[in-house]
Amino acid sequence: MSEVRFRNPGWAGNTGEFDLNEADVRGTGYVGERALDGGHPSVSPSLPYMFVKKDPDAPLFEGPYRERFDKIRSRYPTARAALLPALNLAQELRGHISPETMDEVAGLLGLSDAYVRGVATFYTMYNKRPVGRFLIQVCTNISCNLCGADEVLAAFLEHTGTELGQTSSDGNFTVVEAECLAACGFPTCVQINSRYFEDVSADDVPAVLDRLKRELNRSF
Amino acid sequence: MADNGRKAETVTLTIDGREVTVPKGTSLLHAAESVGTEVPHYCYHPGLTAPAQCRICLVEVEGAPKLQPSCVTMAADGQVVHTDSPAAKRMRQGVLEFYLVNHPLDCPICDMSGECKLQDYVFDEGRERGRGREPKRVFGRDDFGGDVLYYGDRCVMCTRCVRFMDEVARDSRLTVVERGSRAVIDTFFDRGLEGASFAGNVVDICPVGALVSKDFLHKARAWDLDHTPSICPNCSHGCNIELHTRDNLVQRLKPRENQEVNGHWMCDYGRANYEWLNRPGRLEAPATGRGSDRRTADWKEALELLFGRLAAAEGDVALVGSARCSNEALAGLGALGDEMRGRTAQRVFRAPRAADEVPLPGFPLLVRRRDLVPNAHGAGLLGFQRCGDDGGEGGLDEVAAHGEVIIVLGDDLADQDGDFGANASLFVYLGTFESAAAGNADFVLPITTFAEEDGSFVNAQERVQRFQQGLRPPESARPAWLVLGALVAALRGEKTPDSAPEAFARLVAAHPAFEGLSWEAVGDAGVALGAEAAHG
Repeated sequence: MSEVRFRNPGWAGNTGEFDLNEADVRGTGYVGERALDGGHPSVSPSLPYMFVKKDPDAPLFEGPYRERFDKIRSRYPTARAALLPALNLAQELRGHISPETMDEVAGLLGLSDAYVRGVATFYTMYNKRPVGRFLIQVCTNISCNLCGADEVLAAFLEHTGTELGQTSSDGNFTVVEAECLAACGFPTCVQINSRYFEDVSADDVPAVLDRLKRELNRSF
Repeated sequence: MADNGRKAETVTLTIDGREVTVPKGTSLLHAAESVGTEVPHYCYHPGLTAPAQCRICLVEVEGAPKLQPSCVTMAADGQVVHTDSPAAKRMRQGVLEFYLVNHPLDCPICDMSGECKLQDYVFDEGRERGRGREPKRVFGRDDFGGDVLYYGDRCVMCTRCVRFMDEVARDSRLTVVERGSRAVIDTFFDRGLEGASFAGNVVDICPVGALVSKDFLHKARAWDLDHTPSICPNCSHGCNIELHTRDNLVQRLKPRENQEVNGHWMCDYGRANYEWLNRPGRLEAPATGRGSDRRTADWKEALELLFGRLAAAEGDVALVGSARCSNEALAGLGALGDEMRGRTAQRVFRAPRAADEVPLPGFPLLVRRRDLVPNAHGAGLLGFQRCGDDGGEGGLDEVAAHGEVIIVLGDDLADQDGDFGANASLFVYLGTFESAAAGNADFVLPITTFAEEDGSFVNAQERVQRFQQGLRPPESARPAWLVLGALVAALRGEKTPDSAPEAFARLVAAHPAFEGLSWEAVGDAGVALGAEAAHG
């Protein structure tokens, strides 16, 4: 596998000292699709790309997702407490939280539909509308902004051919602004699905997008 | 502490330089209230939990590192509280400025204007001029369904409405959607408040003009309304209410606090049904004679004629009362029957009944009762038997064909035809509207509705409750207790009762169920029958 050159590939990268690729470094289990069972809790949030097969019509919840939902529910004393992880799970499965999803999650947890809507809309990381296969969140908060976040954002919009918050016509990219991603030491930080790309400059953007497109073509 | 067992523990503190002693567990807000200081508040409501989120009731407590929310800070011994210190005032001014950042200041077209807490507080303590230069964000309005309309721009996000639906109605249909400056109150998308039975209360508890009644929208200004303490006439629970009137019309009904009956609340059914009090086309003048002989008369003439007929009447008497009439009127009707020479053969009333009760889960005392009339229990206590079906119709076949004396009070006989009372030797109709079934009446006497007189009802808890006159009656209508009281007094040869309290006193003397009650003891809050009424 040839390495695309950009300043920070998101892992240690091939420094030339070793002949390693990403799978060698992270382990094959961590490269590729997110495991249906969520993976080991210690690594599940950091799986690369989190390029999941999103199915807006997937049932809530069946098979391994039902097991995960039951586990979530069992971890909390009240249904309200289990709402955030339950919505996370629904979003992982369906890609966004539609009104129907809110209603179904409310039914599953025995909460009022209005309450679930209130919670889902309070948190910006729940997508209330469908997003592309890659959700590109560009931090435009102060540190990143001082280091050219506006240009990075403009570059992403230009190279994906979308408007802010809109999804590209091929359904692959949605570019949004994000508040501080807690990577102020590495501006500009861009979160793509669950993965951080740090030290991104406007010049890096075509290479990042190329790499994402290659991910789309990979078969696992 | 042992000898303290019976006595409630108290704490003594100083509020704005005045020493106050209050029971332990009293909030600073209530302690200040007890010495006449209103601490501004939005999110706190006595019928709901206090989240202390509006930040406008902050007061200075000496020794505390920062200002304390007075709605949740409990009074403690030796506390020194300043509600009006420079720090507290500066803070309130700051909080108010934040509230006005996006507020549209559309008071001239806002229904809440005149009773709005934001208006009051800003007028008292706010900045003279806003400093904002940025454009205000605009939401517009949102129809929540039912009777509730939401103006997002006016909202102060106190969440009283959300907590009312959660805690009291136990029907969590409202929520805060989004956050920060985008936050609004909303239901679940298109699922509004339709079908909720108590949602109208969110309009009452909204401290600003964010939640308004569609029925009342742009109908009257708050300062033009007269408020009259009354009792809800739409079910036998008898929620304490205020009639809000203007131009001699009821504009809306609002609940009046009574912790023994309805708390701070009332149901939407009761709230919505007031238009019948404003219905035009009322009986204007007394009339005598049947069919084509019908002619109007003045009261003196009509009553003298009627007195002559009553004194001479021999036969059995059929009395039809109404559970919409006051105790005083029904007792007067009963007494008239007793004074007549004939035996009282029928003593009935009809009342519509709903299929089921509608309780308020978070305040179980309050139930929309099955009887959709205010005084079904009073009528029962005063010796009237219920007849007819659950629609409040039928059941009068015997009375209709009664051949001797018929006296109808307050029942408009809408389901009866022109043959009603055709065989009667004497037929007296005391009512508010002309009725086809009253065509055979020898006397048609216009009486007042409950909103046009003083009087009392007995509710489903067997509680006697007073209402006051809020409307001016049509020209010649008189309270039924006065008309009937005059006739009874004439038959007995005594003085006519000259006021509702006097009529009530005569009722108490005649009916053991009401023993020991007095008009004063019933007061504005009412008294339960059989309770130790004498102490009041």
